[in-house]
Amino acid sequence: MAVTVFIPTALRQFTGERAEIAVEARTVGEALDKVTGEHTELRRHLYGEQDKLRNFVNIYVNDEDIRATQRLETPVKEGDTISIVPAIAGGAATEEKVQGGSAVKTEAASLPTLSNEEIARYSRHLIMPEVGMEGQRRLKAARVLMIGTGGLGAPTGMYLAAAGVGTLGVVDFDVVDASNLQRQIVHGTKDVGRPKIESARDRLNDINPNVKIEAYETRLTSENALELFRDYDMVVDGTDNFPTRYLVNDACVLAGKPNVYGSIFRFEGQASVFWAAKGACYRCLYPEPPPVGLVPSCAEGGVLGVLPGIVGAIQANEAIKLILGGGEPLINRLLLFDAWKLRFRELKLRKDPACPVCGENPTIKGLIDYEEFCGLRPAPAQGAAADKTEETRQMEEITASELKQRLDRGDDLQIIDVREPNEYEIARIPGSKLIPLGQVVNRQDEIEQERETVVHCKGGVRSARAIEALTRSGFKGRLVNLKGGITAWSNDVDPGVPKY
Amino acid sequence: MIKLCDRLIAEIRRHAEGTYPHECCGLLVGRIEDGGRTRLVFETYPVENTFEEGERHHRMSIEPLDYARAERLYAKRGLGVVGNYHSHPDHPAVPSQFDLEHLAPWPTMSYVVVSVPGGKAADIRSWELEADRSRFREEEVIQVVVDGSEFGEQERTSDGNQK
Repeated sequence: MAVTVFIPTALRQFTGERAEIAVEARTVGEALDKVTGEHTELRRHLYGEQDKLRNFVNIYVNDEDIRATQRLETPVKEGDTISIVPAIAGGAATEEKVQGGSAVKTEAASLPTLSNEEIARYSRHLIMPEVGMEGQRRLKAARVLMIGTGGLGAPTGMYLAAAGVGTLGVVDFDVVDASNLQRQIVHGTKDVGRPKIESARDRLNDINPNVKIEAYETRLTSENALELFRDYDMVVDGTDNFPTRYLVNDACVLAGKPNVYGSIFRFEGQASVFWAAKGACYRCLYPEPPPVGLVPSCAEGGVLGVLPGIVGAIQANEAIKLILGGGEPLINRLLLFDAWKLRFRELKLRKDPACPVCGENPTIKGLIDYEEFCGLRPAPAQGAAADKTEETRQMEEITASELKQRLDRGDDLQIIDVREPNEYEIARIPGSKLIPLGQVVNRQDEIEQERETVVHCKGGVRSARAIEALTRSGFKGRLVNLKGGITAWSNDVDPGVPKY
Repeated sequence: MIKLCDRLIAEIRRHAEGTYPHECCGLLVGRIEDGGRTRLVFETYPVENTFEEGERHHRMSIEPLDYARAERLYAKRGLGVVGNYHSHPDHPAVPSQFDLEHLAPWPTMSYVVVSVPGGKAADIRSWELEADRSRFREEEVIQVVVDGSEFGEQERTSDGNQK
């Protein structure tokens, strides 16, 4: 059948600017294979991992979405037009009835008993029929693994310990830093410099000595995750990065454990329960990680200290409900919280039958390299990646100490600070001029081209982007990146400049 | 970079203020030049925010059929969809996490965001994806004078341009 494939403007550079390509095909898939076989660059913009259509790519035959017919197997007839159209933003999902049932698979009769001390301690629980003696004994039997004892893990751990969860596994490899104390309330001022795992253990034991803490001072990896997860009833995800989040999700799906999820950024938080046996997993919601650098971490973007307190407490609430097997868990529901407006909202989630890890025909059957999956480590031998390295290599750099020496020597340097004004308020390098990254190209007239220019930010990444942008826009002056930014300046030159 | 004229910037602002406190959204119609690095925008194509009711003050969704319609409408003039825009009522003109996870990541397109603090459009900023799709970054917005005769001013608000 002769059909026409309509190429969106945004992708025509990969088809030699052709808008319409005529091919002979029997199905949509065959037509697309022919077009992308001829124009290979086009394929990676339409197909993602495992050679599946990317989730934001819609294909229409005339005006009909192929998701409503037989997807790529949809037959085509003479004269049909196949259109490639991107979806912008996510779609609505239908609700699925979720069954209760405790995540702790112990028969009621063999649950541990409570001592008189425990009965006194948990009396406010015990008098509620939703918990009662059996529920409290179930809490005691429960084994919950927490990933991270940071902003989210702090309140989660404290409430789960207080609630009488029998065994809390805690995974963290970090050390308590002064900048943690604004939100990570499980650690105190006296703990700065101690491993978080030790500090958390002390605090949780102080809250409830009946709780057994199993501490793992290690990074969660693809090598150890499945073994760690095996002995727990559920996992509470308190991580702050995408590779670990996907790792926790996939390991939970493979091990058949519920994943009590929370995430925070600036004033906004999310929480859900991803339990593949009963509903959507994290990959059903986010099949692919966002591009690197798009979503700043809390270290870059900041976070309101109380926000993880709220989201972490919600995670503790959900973990307790999963143990009790009652209430309405956040399965197939994504809770969105905005602390600034003080609003809660909820999105319905749906299990994706095509999900690569929990779908009908999963393609991920073991744990993978999540740093690479999230684009944090370039896949080997790729042209684009190699070019970028080349570009980075050519960028001139200066260390904070060298900069200080040159300034002391009286060298004629201008220092451009590309951070945001609120960061400039906190700390600045003397004599620097503030032009935020977003304005640097438009305001390049304010940078004297004939003088040597040192560009800096907090850690050296934004300043490198500023130099790239200026160079691309035709700025001719000499631009030097301050390695490690103002943080390095504070460390190596002037400790009087506060670090933030 | 993205090149567009004052008239289009004013249209985007007006659209954003008109839908406040809800998000507005639309498509940018023009040509892609310079091997995919430059978007020359000739028209805005406002569309309805089809995100579920009650969420539109902070979410937007563009109906794929609107997108397909815009492509077809302008194809005969050699133009097409080169990007999209949406507003952030009472939020900065910086892509949110939701935007980052849901905007279509084709690196040849522009993603324009306008902040609308208190109902008055303020910053307009534009974002693009790196060629290897590894991350978004802010792109330069250049205001240019576009020769209106190129595709006839009278056709500007034809059918489908305003739902």
